[in-house]
This record gives sequence, C-alpha cells and structure tokens, in this order.
Amino acid sequence: MGYYSLLTTCAFIHLLVFMPYAYSNYLENKAGQFFSSGHTNNWAVLVSLNKLGFWFNYRHVANTLSVYRSVKRLGIPDSHIVLMLADDMACNYRNPKPATVFSHKNMELNVYGDDVEVDYRGYEVTVENFLRVLTGRLPPSTPRSKRLLSDDRSNILIYLTGHGGNGFLKFQDSEEISNMELADAFEQMWQKRRYNELLFIIDTCQGASMYERFYSPNLMALASSQVGEDSLSHQPDLAIGVHLMDKYTFYLLEFLEEVHPASQANMNDLFKVCPQSQCVSTPGHRTDLFQRNPGSVLITDFFGSVRKVEITKDTINLTSSVKPPIQRSGSSDMTIESLTYVDQLPVAEIIHQKPKQKDWHPPDGFILGLWTLILLVFFQTYGIKHLKHIF
Amino acid sequence: MAAPLTLLLIVAVTIRAVLFRSSLAELISERVEVVSPLNAWKRVVEGLALLDLGVSPYSGDVFHETPLMIYLFHFTVDYAEIVFMVSPYFVDCLSCFLAPLDRFRKQKYALESDRYPADCLELLRSPKEMFYIPLKVAMFYLLNPFTILSCVAKSTCGLNNAIIALFIFCTLKGSALLSGILLALATYQSIYPLTLFAPALLFFLQRLYIPVNLRRSSFWFFTLQYAFIYVGSLVVITGLSFFLLGSWDFIPSVYGFIFSVPDLTPNIGLFWYFFAEMFEHFRLFFICVFQINVFFYTIPLSIKLKEHPVFLIFMQIAIISIFKSYPTVGDVALYMAFLPAWSHLYRFLRNIFLVSCVLLACSALFPVLWHLWIYAGSANSNFYYAITLLFNFGQILLVSDYFYAYLRREHHLIHGLYLKKKDGTEATLVLK
Repeated sequence: MGYYSLLTTCAFIHLLVFMPYAYSNYLENKAGQFFSSGHTNNWAVLVSLNKLGFWFNYRHVANTLSVYRSVKRLGIPDSHIVLMLADDMACNYRNPKPATVFSHKNMELNVYGDDVEVDYRGYEVTVENFLRVLTGRLPPSTPRSKRLLSDDRSNILIYLTGHGGNGFLKFQDSEEISNMELADAFEQMWQKRRYNELLFIIDTCQGASMYERFYSPNLMALASSQVGEDSLSHQPDLAIGVHLMDKYTFYLLEFLEEVHPASQANMNDLFKVCPQSQCVSTPGHRTDLFQRNPGSVLITDFFGSVRKVEITKDTINLTSSVKPPIQRSGSSDMTIESLTYVDQLPVAEIIHQKPKQKDWHPPDGFILGLWTLILLVFFQTYGIKHLKHIF
Repeated sequence: MAAPLTLLLIVAVTIRAVLFRSSLAELISERVEVVSPLNAWKRVVEGLALLDLGVSPYSGDVFHETPLMIYLFHFTVDYAEIVFMVSPYFVDCLSCFLAPLDRFRKQKYALESDRYPADCLELLRSPKEMFYIPLKVAMFYLLNPFTILSCVAKSTCGLNNAIIALFIFCTLKGSALLSGILLALATYQSIYPLTLFAPALLFFLQRLYIPVNLRRSSFWFFTLQYAFIYVGSLVVITGLSFFLLGSWDFIPSVYGFIFSVPDLTPNIGLFWYFFAEMFEHFRLFFICVFQINVFFYTIPLSIKLKEHPVFLIFMQIAIISIFKSYPTVGDVALYMAFLPAWSHLYRFLRNIFLVSCVLLACSALFPVLWHLWIYAGSANSNFYYAITLLFNFGQILLVSDYFYAYLRREHHLIHGLYLKKKDGTEATLVLK
C-alpha cells in the first residue's frame, strides 16, 4: 500500500517537474513547425478558357467560379486571387436566372455569390495576358488587382478549365498555348522566385498532356483526363438548358465543400477525387517535381490561406536557430546570393578605344582583272584603231 | 525626237527625285511586291555592313547578291539613288534601236511585198507610225508606276533590267561578242536569262542569213562560236567573283537560293504559297517541276517563232518574269515596256480590256489585302494568294493574247486579210 502511494507520488512529482520542460519543448517543436512548411502567403490564378459569346460554355465559368468560391471560403482574399473569366455568364441574356451561376442542378448552389471580383474579363483573357500575369511582366500601368504579386514564399494554385487537346489549350477559340510554353512560363517564375510551391489543376480534354513538359521544381499537377481521353460534363439543368459543370470539377467541389480551414486533409485525398467510375475519364497527377511527400501536404496549403496561429501565454526562447525539419534535396538554387553593386569600370577600360575598323576593299587583283577585261571588250568591239588616239 | 525624249527624261527624274525625298521611300522599300529577298536594298546594305565587319556577307540567309554587285555597291552605296535613277535609262537605249530594227524588217517586207496580197498592205507599218515607237517605249518604261516603285525602293531589279536591256540592244545592233558577254552577265545575276540564249542565237542567224538547219555546218559553226563566247564569259565572270571574296560561298547563296526557294516570304509570284503548304517529302519534286516550267517554253516557242526572234525575246522575258521564283513588279515593268513596239497588233488583240482591268485591279488590291491579312487580321494568306494568282493569270493572258495576235498577223500577211471559207462566207481564225 505504502509502496503504491510512493510510486504515484514519485510519478506525480516527476510529471510536475518535467511537464513545463516538456511543454516548452513541445512549444519549440511547434515553433519549428511554424516555420517548417515554407510558405507564408497564398495566391490563386483561376482561368476559364471558354470563348466569349458561347452560352454552351457555361460549365467552364461555373467550374472556375466553384473553385473561386472554395478558395475564398478557405481564406484566400480577393486581393490574392487573379480571376480570369472569358465570359459573363451571370449576366448573359440567355441566363434565365440573371446574376447567378449554378453548379448543381435544381439550382442548389449559386457559385456566383454576392462578392465576386473578376480581374480579367472577356477579351482580356488571352494567352499573352495569362503569361504576363504568371511571369509578372506587365506594363507599369497595370493595377494591383490584375497582378500576381507573389514572392518566393508564396504557394500558388493555378486552375485552368476549358477546351484543350494533346499538348495545347485553346484561348478564346482563336489562340493556343502549348504545354512547352506553360512549362517555360513556370520556369521563368521559378527563376524569378515567384513561387514557393505551385499546384496546377486542369480540367480540359487530354489535360494530362499539359503537365507532361514541366521541368521546374516544386510543381504538383492534377488533370481531369489522360492523353487521348475527353473530360466530360456532368449534369444538365433543364431550366437553364446547358450542362452546369464538368464532372471532375463537380466532384472536386464536393470534396472541397467538406474541407474547412482546420482540416488535415492532404493531397492523397485530392488525388482520389473523381475516380474513373465516377468521371469516365482517368484523372492524373504528377508529383515527381514536388519536394515534399504529397501525403504531408495539406489541402489548405494551396486552397486556403491558413495562418498558423498558436496562442500561448508562455515565453519561448528562440535562441537556437530553428532548423527546418524538411531537408530540401536537390540543387542549391534556393540559396540567394548576397547583393552587391557591380564594380565600376576601371578608367583605363573606359578611355581605351577600339581600333577603328578597316573597311573592306576588294582585292587589287580583282580590280585589275575586271578592268582589263572591260577594256579588252571595249577595244574589241570598237576596233583597235582607237588605241592610236590614246597613245 | 530628241526634245520629247529629253522632256520625258526630265519628268521621270523629277518624279523619282520627289519620291526619294518623301516619306514614301521607306514605305515602298518594305513592300513585298516591290522587293524580294533577292534584290532588296536593305539586304545589300546588310551584306556590305557584314563585309566591313570582316564576315563573309553570304553567311546567314541575308544577302543574295552576286559578288560583282558587291563591288559595284561598295563604291556607290552613298550614291545609290543616282545609280538607281540612271539604270532605267539603259532601257531607253534599247528603245532607240527598235526603229532601225523595224527598218530592217520593212526592207525585208518591201522586197517581198509583191508576194503579199494587196489587202495586206494596211498591216504593214509605215515609217511614220514607227517613228514614235522609241519614245513610247521609253515612256512606257520610265513612267510605269511599277518601274518608279522599283526604283524608289532601290531594288537591284532595276539593274538586272538594265543589263537585260543592254543585252537586247547589243543583240539588235548585231555585235555577237557584246551580246554574249552581256547575256552571260544577265545569267550570272539571275539564272533565268539563260533562256534568252535561243532567241539571241536565232536573231544572229537570221541576220547573217544562216538558215536554221540542223544538218548545215554553218549553223553549227556559228552556234558553237556564240555558245563559246557566252559560256566563256560566264566562266570568266564566275572566276572573277571567286577572286573578289576568295571563296565559292556565293554559289549556294545566290544560285542555290534561286533554285531551291528556301525563303517563302509572300511576293507576287506563285512559289511561296505552294511551298508553304508542301510537305518536305515532295518538296524536291515540286521545286523541279516549277523550275522546269520556266525553261520549258523555250524550245517550243523557238520552233514556232524561229523567224521572229525579237518577238521571241519579248515572250521569253514575259515568261521569265511570270514564272521566276521571286518576281517583283520591276520584272513585270520590263516586258511591259516592249508593248508599244507591237502596237500594230492592237487590232488582233482579243482580251485587252479584260487583261488591263485584271492587272489594274490586282495592282490596287495587293496592298489592300496585305494590310487586311497582316495588320487587320481579318483576312488570311488565301486572300493575298488569290490576288497573286489573278495577277499572274492576267499576265499570262496578256502574253498569250499578244502571241495570238502576232501569229494571226503573220497568217494574214501570207493568206490575206479577209479570209473566206470555200463557200465564200467569212472565216474565223482559231489559235490551237
């Protein structure tokens, strides 16, 4: 009996003594985790590639708006979303319910909402504008709402939906962007340190061909169909008269509706969205360029703007440098060189003039030969007697 | 005769000078109808700049002029405008000698006029009519908008035309040596004047009263002489060009370029569209077909027109400028300058209204459809190609019409002007 109580008191004292230490360790681990995921802000670029004036492409706008709605719901503000809609379906004269865009039949869910902010509309959705937004090479007069002001700690979600083929996407029915151009644009973004990690989702026919050519690090890609397959649309609504959504985005929306800012759902769940039994096409994904294990990547890393906030009343000493628990393998491209000014040219090099270039002259033999021949011909035709007058 | 000619020269010089100094010069020198990759002025400047930098001008696909042109422009690049203004006047020299040609022919006809039926005398031309032909030829060339455009654009097509005109001049004057040398020079510039060897040969044979009979030794003797002069001077000129730059680079760059048509910039010819859509597999075959098409008409035409070599020259020049690989309006202007020489055929021309409408409309539509295609984006290359086709169709119709008229006149000279069938009704002539 006494032994038993001694054991419990010892354990209790042990716990009391070590608990604050364990707790501060726990806090330091948490602080380590705080800086571990690598990104500090989230951006989203959502593009709908339909052609202006085609009412049948309602579903592309509905696709994009549903992703927009999810992304806004999970915390990314409008200032960090670049929404490019090529057509105004909500105010189209063929829309029986103006100012709405529905994703579910029987008008269950209006994805247009009350506060949608479209940044690029109508004819502004072009290949050039899309690439300029991605690479940041916009004219100085472009307003902030139309720019992707990401930095090297930004996680970017890029969502494209529309019509495509093997290796290309159609913009506005008159232009194309190829998968190589897209890969090069992402490489430009990488070189300019415009993203930390990038998630690329595409819902077009043969969408997997668009991510085949990516070669920049930290890219993860999902597509609604493989090469040679078409992405199909979901259900039509009889009142509106068109197909409301594409299958892949419909199931993606259903999946995202269950995600809330604190959810721990990871990318492996996202890869399972819309299997072939539901979608008819086979969704594909690509993770070989991504540094982290997809199972450890939260959905909210890309779809939400989750701020890691830990409220604690204890002080934490951040004396030791918090090592990021994830080792980044790969080249040391991430190291940023310290900036210095360029060395001024030494004066001698400025004053030193290049020697004046000698102009080319035809060789003397050529001139001699040519004029001899000309003279010969002249005298041959006009007779030798003229020679007498010269000499 | 001298006074109107001088007036004409002054007017032509004034027009060109005014256009050179205006802002239109820049615009015109970029138009694809006027300049082609073979004879654009900016390519000449580029090639000379490359030469000054110590690099062969034929490296890269920029410069396609012959070395003798390099030599010419090396010293005159600052005075280029004067060079290009002077070159059309060579064509005038030609015109001055068309009159004696016709005198020669008139003599021939006067000798044989008693052989002709009486009603044909109206077909023969009187010296009074022929007096103004040189002036008209000069006017047709100097004041032709095509020539003016070509000159203002400083396209070396004007120089090529001058050489061909000098060649014709020397041929008509009867100097076989000069004619052979100038023909070699013209062939050296662009290969197509090779086909003018046959008419020049026929002209000399006619002049020297050597019958064109393959079994006669005198025919072969003269042919070999002329061929020797021609080939010899061609070899000498090519050798000289080698010594200018010290390399044979110019051969693939100039002649390889003309034959294999690698540059498919749109122009008024027929090659570019066809080869833009041609698969690589068949390209060689169709290159051969198209190039043979230029040379193909020489032999049949020479057989048909062996007594009329001057007209044969005209036909050959027309065929060259329609079917060559990079035609420009300067080439068109050259054979159009000859049309007044055959003004007596006017009464036999059947399609002259259609042809002139087609050519005028196409010339006006070229810049319009170019603008619509390239700048406005509301047309595409098919529109421009359609006008190209129509333009060449008009040219072919013009040439064949003149051919028909010439042959018909010859037929009338032999058989009388008012033809009657056996039962006395009026007969019609058909070109088969």
